[in-house]
Amino acid sequence: MALFFTQLMNGIGNGAVYASLALALVLIFRTTGILNFAQGEMALYSTYLVWFFASHHVAVWLAILIAMAISFVGGSLIERVVIRPVEKASPLVLVIVTIGMFLALNSITQVQFGSDAEQLPRAYPSKTWLPAHVQISADTLVLVGVLILECLLLYFLLQRTRLGLAVRAVASNPESSSLLGIPVGTMLMLGWALAATLGALAGAIAVPASQPALTAASMQEVLVFAFAAAALGGFDSTIGAVVGGIIVGVAQSLTTQYIKSLSDMVIVVPFALILLVLLVRPSGLFGTQRVERV
Amino acid sequence: MKVASPARRFGPLRIVTVLVIATMVAAACGSSRKTGGSSTSGPSGTGGSSSVIDTSSCPAGNDSVGVNGDTITIGTSLPLSGTYAAFKAILQGEEAYFSYLNSTGGVDVGGKKYKINLVSKDDAYDASKTVTNVQSLINDSKVFSLFNVVGTKNNLGIRNMVNTQCVPDLLIASGAIQWGNTKYPWMLGSELVPYPLEMRAFVNYLKEKKPNATIALLKANDDFGQSYQESLQSLIKGTNLKIVQTQSYDSEGADVNSQVTSLAATHADAFVVGATLLACPAALNAMGSAGWHPITYMSGTCVSKLLFAAGGANSNNVFSVTPLLDPADPANNSNAAMQLYKTNMKKYQSSADATDGIVAYGWTTGALFAAILHASPSATRSAVMETARTLKPLSDVGLQLPGSTWSTSANDWFLGEDFRLIQYNVSQGHTNFIGPLIDDSGKAGPLSPTSLLNG
Repeated sequence: MALFFTQLMNGIGNGAVYASLALALVLIFRTTGILNFAQGEMALYSTYLVWFFASHHVAVWLAILIAMAISFVGGSLIERVVIRPVEKASPLVLVIVTIGMFLALNSITQVQFGSDAEQLPRAYPSKTWLPAHVQISADTLVLVGVLILECLLLYFLLQRTRLGLAVRAVASNPESSSLLGIPVGTMLMLGWALAATLGALAGAIAVPASQPALTAASMQEVLVFAFAAAALGGFDSTIGAVVGGIIVGVAQSLTTQYIKSLSDMVIVVPFALILLVLLVRPSGLFGTQRVERV
Repeated sequence: MKVASPARRFGPLRIVTVLVIATMVAAACGSSRKTGGSSTSGPSGTGGSSSVIDTSSCPAGNDSVGVNGDTITIGTSLPLSGTYAAFKAILQGEEAYFSYLNSTGGVDVGGKKYKINLVSKDDAYDASKTVTNVQSLINDSKVFSLFNVVGTKNNLGIRNMVNTQCVPDLLIASGAIQWGNTKYPWMLGSELVPYPLEMRAFVNYLKEKKPNATIALLKANDDFGQSYQESLQSLIKGTNLKIVQTQSYDSEGADVNSQVTSLAATHADAFVVGATLLACPAALNAMGSAGWHPITYMSGTCVSKLLFAAGGANSNNVFSVTPLLDPADPANNSNAAMQLYKTNMKKYQSSADATDGIVAYGWTTGALFAAILHASPSATRSAVMETARTLKPLSDVGLQLPGSTWSTSANDWFLGEDFRLIQYNVSQGHTNFIGPLIDDSGKAGPLSPTSLLNG
């Protein structure tokens, strides 16, 4: 039983990472209706920024804050320069643009920071507790803690501030919001900026916790699991992203433990979950079902 | 009739004479191959019926491709990006070696000096990209031979291509034993210790120190991991050692946390990490987090300062094997070969970390390639391949362990059968030898499971 709970904790830790990135995906989808396939590579670039500053003797927490600030600006620039010119284009064009950004950002990261595997320093000491033989690591606690903090900040920003109200209004109906004098473009930029900032935090905490080194491939598998989390929870639901992330993480972990034939193919789990959701509940567990009057 | 009669009279004698001479020539060739003597014994050691390499079905004009004037162009494909990008360090060592070699005028092959031009391509460890890269290297870059292409499945993917086109695939960066498969004579492994010999050294250690040990095995879900699993299974037969659990992980990634958690729950006495690159320190970290402290063995492909460092305190006392001197050990700094290596790394690849074992492997493999070329009677594909397959014992190549030799023969196609068991010390930051030099010459083939060898 201790092994079950240990794998459960492993899954929750991984799930918190997927949820963090899924939150960023949801944020962009809610504000602009775009599935951002470049989200993982945006986080990758930000994580390399953390490594860059940390390797230049900046304290890790400070490096994370600087990277988050740069990512905030970078995210809004991406919206303004890359996305806005094609925002009215068909969904297929937008998919191609974000996939193009995925490839471009990955290459830019390698050109700028090199393709060596780099050790990203931890922002907190590594420690493991073994109460009743259940393995609980500091990584899991920090990952879950950061996720909770992100949720609270997003909730406060979106539900309790005038700025958040404006963002939600634009997400809900850009035309009416524009008539009311809300700067739609600025709000859309804010959505991308926040998503990039969340990605930076997710990468900077997740890589030292789950991977032995930072490489240009660090975020690729994470993105697949994050997409599964967002699809499971519903692409327009922040709560859904969190619940979806945890479900995917736990499913991955328990599959490794109890279904031996899938232990080296856990990538099957998110695909199976996506397929299941699309068949049974296309809008996800917490997503809003679209109703159209005909 | 008068003219014909002497011929008839001496006919049987002539036939006997020809047979005797033919037998003597065949015997001479046979003994030459046995001692690995064809490498520098002149053209008689290459081509023809006495050769290990059969060139009868090779494309016309194949032999001299890639040799232009005084330059020999060779090609490699390896991961320079993606999860396995740390293998880029191999290329840094190789390029430094060839720059150094070219600065001395090149390598002497059959009395003529040649410079080496190495063309490298990135395959991100993706076997399908390796196939595309190698096609381009052979058809567009017109390389003389492939050199140190990285990865087991990657080289298996190009196996038919190189063998039907008679392109040497030399010094393959994989210790899998498939490179000893006689159906594919145009391939040869590098100085990496064949995986069954790695397992043999570790199993022997366990038999002596903990004869009733239980073993947990982590393996990559590819031919690389399969080599470790099958070798381990066959080596522990008839002993009191027992594998209590095997877990495999997706070799495309390095996430092994859940697998190691599951292995840790067995509380096995020994842990064999049949993984490579980032999955190695990931496995060690997961092992440490689980509070599990078994006798741990890590693949020889993981012997790197970077990877040991990524494992942190969990890397302490981890076993592995090496055919090379550790460039991170200050005790080796007085060694002349080490000084040559470090001086030239600084000169030609200053951004590389010369104390990393992966860089040292690249440097040594470059030196080994030059040594094979030098031993060849001529700069032709068939002569070089024949030489590589029947190589006289080589010593003091690159950072080769003092006292060890690398050789091949018609019956033994494995180079890296001399090596030492090592253990990493975190506080010292380098590995230390455990026990004497292991001379397993000729043992890799017989020890290997037939299904793997001929698979």
